[in-house]
Amino acid sequence: MRVPVGGLALALALLGMPSVAHAHLVNTRLGGFYDGMLHPLTGFEDALPWLALAILAAFQGAQRARWLLLTFPLGLLAGGGIWELMPGLSFVPALSVALIAIVGLAVATAIVLPLPITLALGAIVGLVHGYLNAQAMTETTDHLLFISGVTAVGYVTITLTIACAIAFLQAKGSWQAIALRASGSWIAAIGIMALGLQFFAPAI
Amino acid sequence: MSKMCNDTMAAGTRRTRAVAGILLYLALGQSAFAHSGSAAAIGLESGFTHPITGLDHLVAMVAVGLWGAQLGNPAIWTLPITFPLVMALGGLLGVAGVDVPLTEQIVALSGIALGVLIALRARPPLWVAALIVGIFAIFHGYAHGRELPQAADPLSYGVGFVVATGLLHLCGIVLGLFIRWPLGERAVRACGAGIGCVGAYFFLAALGAIP
Repeated sequence: MRVPVGGLALALALLGMPSVAHAHLVNTRLGGFYDGMLHPLTGFEDALPWLALAILAAFQGAQRARWLLLTFPLGLLAGGGIWELMPGLSFVPALSVALIAIVGLAVATAIVLPLPITLALGAIVGLVHGYLNAQAMTETTDHLLFISGVTAVGYVTITLTIACAIAFLQAKGSWQAIALRASGSWIAAIGIMALGLQFFAPAI
Repeated sequence: MSKMCNDTMAAGTRRTRAVAGILLYLALGQSAFAHSGSAAAIGLESGFTHPITGLDHLVAMVAVGLWGAQLGNPAIWTLPITFPLVMALGGLLGVAGVDVPLTEQIVALSGIALGVLIALRARPPLWVAALIVGIFAIFHGYAHGRELPQAADPLSYGVGFVVATGLLHLCGIVLGLFIRWPLGERAVRACGAGIGCVGAYFFLAALGAIP
């Protein structure tokens, strides 16, 4: 029997070819800034609490919500900086999930918080998410550009979402606040269950 | 004869090459995507379809919205806001691996109870309505929570099933708005009876009375 040596070699070469594993979109060749901008948009970990924070800010009124446009992005920037200094803080992922539940519950109850607490909440969410996003940086990533990208997308997202939520609340009708509160209860429910996963061993 | 033999051999060689090519293609390694969409999308899809593909869950979720609409303000928004929060507590029990007995039976019973309440147009005090819905929400959440740790992306799974649950409530609320018209009110009560029948079917199935 004639063995096709050439074909066999080609097959082995194809099977042996390495394939890239994409954990996060950090090496998309878009540059550190754009990688930082894209990273928070690739999962719900960032999107959910940011959305909840923006809705909560809208419930506080436009005057108070404006302050969050400053504290939240600064928190993201500072969070990235803290990761540079202390990269191994193990409590941050659990705190991140707890914040989804806390901010979601605050939205579900449409609570009006004192301004310092609103600002502190915004800053803490920013710090935690700046820190967690910075964890995705590799050795080849330009850290400053990446953290700047995360901060920029955080600023744009929170600004636009607060503006949309305020406009939605000011529209005619009485159901808008209920719809936003319902979305808060959904986010809180997701956060509570995800928090459970942080503490309990998988029941497999 | 010789030509026929050559043709048969050539066809055999082509088949062997085709099979080898298919096997090689199947064996080729594919990229693994942890966070760039695939795992999140799979988790989101499986979470979203979980309440929709289970008819016992589906009818109970719609029933919560229907009953809320039938009860009017403030139940129309209190029940759908309360339900996901209490459901999350049930989900915690599932995530923790706590063994809650009779889950399937009580999920089916929720369809019967809510269906009957809608069909009879029952109007208990708000706290009683919230208590009834809350107790059932724990069992529905528990059923979802059991599958959460096995999901490709648990957070996306949670987003999927909470959003699906909320949208089913919304369907119930929209259907329930027909109570403004006499015919619509009868139709809503008939929906309640139908939900009760579906619940009864699943209850009997959970007891093993229906194969």
